[in-house]
Amino acid sequence: MSRPDDTQDYTPGESIEWSEKYRPKTLARIAGNNKPVSDLCAWAKAWKHGMPDKKAVILYGKPGIGKTTAAYALAHDFNWEVIELNASDQRTAAAIQKVAGSASRTAALCGGIRLIVLDEADNIHGNADRGGAQALAKIIKDTSQPILLTANDLYGVSPSIKNLCLPIAFRSMQSRSLIPVLNKICQNEEISCDIDVLQKIAETAHGDVRSAINDLQAVAQGKSKLHVEDVVTSSRDPRDTIFDALKKIFKGKDIKEALNATYNIDETPDDLIQWIDENLPAQYRGADMARGFAMLSRADLFLGRVQLRQNYRMWRYAGAIMSSGVAAAKSREYPGARFMPPSRWRRLRSTRTSRQIRDAVSEKIGLMCYVSQKYARLNVLPFIRILFSNSDYAVPLAARMNLDLDEIAYITGSKKGTKKVKTIHQEAREMAESETSEHIETFGRLGAYREGSEEVAGAVRAEVHMQPQKPRKEPKKEEKEEKKEKKPQTTLFDF
Amino acid sequence: MTATGRRTLKNITDNIFTYSRCGGFSIKQEIWIEKYRPKRLADVVGQDNAIGRLISYVHTRNLPHLMFTGPPGVGKTASAVSIARELFGDTWHSNFTELNASDERGIDVVRHKIKNFARTSPVGDAEFKIIFLDEADALTGDAQSALRRTMERYTRTCRFILSCNYSSRIIEPIQSRCAVYRFGPITDEAVVKRVRYIADCEHLDITDDGIDAVKYVARGDMRKAINALQAAAMLGTAIDRDAIYQITATARPEEIGKLILSAYNGDFAESRKKLDDLLTRQGLSGEDVVGQIYRAIFDVEEIPDRKKVDLIDKIGEMDFRITEGANERIQLDALLAWFVLSGGTYND
Repeated sequence: MSRPDDTQDYTPGESIEWSEKYRPKTLARIAGNNKPVSDLCAWAKAWKHGMPDKKAVILYGKPGIGKTTAAYALAHDFNWEVIELNASDQRTAAAIQKVAGSASRTAALCGGIRLIVLDEADNIHGNADRGGAQALAKIIKDTSQPILLTANDLYGVSPSIKNLCLPIAFRSMQSRSLIPVLNKICQNEEISCDIDVLQKIAETAHGDVRSAINDLQAVAQGKSKLHVEDVVTSSRDPRDTIFDALKKIFKGKDIKEALNATYNIDETPDDLIQWIDENLPAQYRGADMARGFAMLSRADLFLGRVQLRQNYRMWRYAGAIMSSGVAAAKSREYPGARFMPPSRWRRLRSTRTSRQIRDAVSEKIGLMCYVSQKYARLNVLPFIRILFSNSDYAVPLAARMNLDLDEIAYITGSKKGTKKVKTIHQEAREMAESETSEHIETFGRLGAYREGSEEVAGAVRAEVHMQPQKPRKEPKKEEKEEKKEKKPQTTLFDF
Repeated sequence: MTATGRRTLKNITDNIFTYSRCGGFSIKQEIWIEKYRPKRLADVVGQDNAIGRLISYVHTRNLPHLMFTGPPGVGKTASAVSIARELFGDTWHSNFTELNASDERGIDVVRHKIKNFARTSPVGDAEFKIIFLDEADALTGDAQSALRRTMERYTRTCRFILSCNYSSRIIEPIQSRCAVYRFGPITDEAVVKRVRYIADCEHLDITDDGIDAVKYVARGDMRKAINALQAAAMLGTAIDRDAIYQITATARPEEIGKLILSAYNGDFAESRKKLDDLLTRQGLSGEDVVGQIYRAIFDVEEIPDRKKVDLIDKIGEMDFRITEGANERIQLDALLAWFVLSGGTYND
């Protein structure tokens, strides 16, 4: 048995997943991500001197880069007790309340601190976990214990939760910093291997530590020596095979081969057509290109039929037309251009944040004006934008809709950090606070009444039900006023 | 032969099940895809790379979570079951469970069924259990994300093997937890080898063109190949090409080729006669014929590539119309007329 160091010992050949076995137990042992880890540490240290400003942190980033690991390592380092609530458990309001609610208010038995870990906060599911998000926001507000959330996508987290948390970004790992990690495991498992084997595994993992370790275990287990040829697990990134198929389609002469190449890729026809669509204009010119797109259009029609009728047999025609059809569309050879991944995906990814903000804003407007999210976006949002140019309207509206900085920035079209956005946000918060304190007594009584008459689940439901009432009751009056006030503004459209 | 007298694969497999339900029959009535399902990993054919690695997991008595991707009938389930058999021996039944995700695809199945199996300790001296999640790509997004933590949390007592047709339908966090193996279509040689082996064991006398026919029918799907063989064996131990084609409701590839060519060369009457023969005398369905025309057209050398693709488009159109409830005779006639038009040798 070898001992890499004194904090953690491993037995080679033990029957357990390596990604679990080599999960770092302390923050110091987490590879890469130094900045977020030290941020996390700083937040935890603040708990020694009473409650910090943000009682919850949210660790976000791609899968397999150490978020959950960091959570447990943190608890280990600070000697905190851990209470975990993950997506494999039900996370309805009642369930969250039951597990995390009491834990968050009372200290641990020995007087220590308890860390409440809630994995996959971007996956509190609409229907199955009804009310979960609201309950969680309430718990974070009331807690006397630290809460740690993890998420793949910060913008998948409900804004009401996000605003209460300190966000800490975890980054994917460079393959060169992954290699030492893999190398250490190999030494420990008594496996000798060349650096290029580890290189290959590290590159296929695309920054995902866990999948790199899994792949290493998959190829290395039970061996004492590793060669490059042993790395046979499939890449999670299907690029190699798709490039091969694209080559057969755009460069090849045999339409049957073009079709057969599509059988060998691990990609649905829906995705493949995006790849062909992206590369077609760069590969063909003139009439050939037009013919190619005519083919894609037909193929797409069959994809539509699959979608519409769940008739998966239509895939074969879509696949044949998009591959063989595009292959046969060319009348001459073209110089090789590099194949590119669909730019539409890249664009969607880069605009995802702003789309999510847009949707959040539309939802809030919809709630306020009793219209659908779509109607709010198309018809009310442009109008709200005009109102926001006047801070007399902007502040009360921002207060009523509880807009955050991002959302105000989106509506005004200014940058998040500008003074204008900050001022509206600040004044709106002050306004909201003064209003809440006026009504707090009324609502307090209402809550107590319901809690007394129904069981806990019922109380939570009542609470959830109550939430929209809060803005509703008050705004209604103001809305009328506002409509009156809006009149001179609407003439803008009459010009 | 009338429609009711058709000896199609489905009728016959139904019969097999009826017989075996009656009880008291010997093992001969066993369905062959089960009887010849590989018992050991070494028997899984046509996936040498993946199988080599899987065998080494068994030797070390440990495995990571696995994900098998690939088309149907290429050995995904067979591999999973073989791993369990080899790892657990007699207790494999208690330590292995199979869930078909397309039957139960919601989040509840993860939160209850899977979790309950995962958290109880393994039976006997096994160190962990295996959950085989077939057609995992049918799980809803919610269910998949609920599965993530379960996979990690119970890793001491349980390993997951997921199978799916396309890995792109499995969310990234799950792929990150698995070693991914792609199972390609089985090569014709591997299919032939296995079919010959089974034919020997069952004392069948199968001709070479019979083997070719099985290969044609199977298209890289071992399950289809074995089913076709067993169905044909119900007719008698001597098996030739015709027996296979008849039993699987498949027209001979040459017949379809002739049908296409005569239409393309402008002889509509002749091709329509051939079509009639397939539909009425041989009892094929319109969908069967459309499917075979689609397969055959790639190999008709007389038709230039662009026309082929246009015709494939038409074939797809007719196929769609037939499944939408249109009359298959009329659609197929119209399809043949398209072939005539495409060939260009007709008199106005």
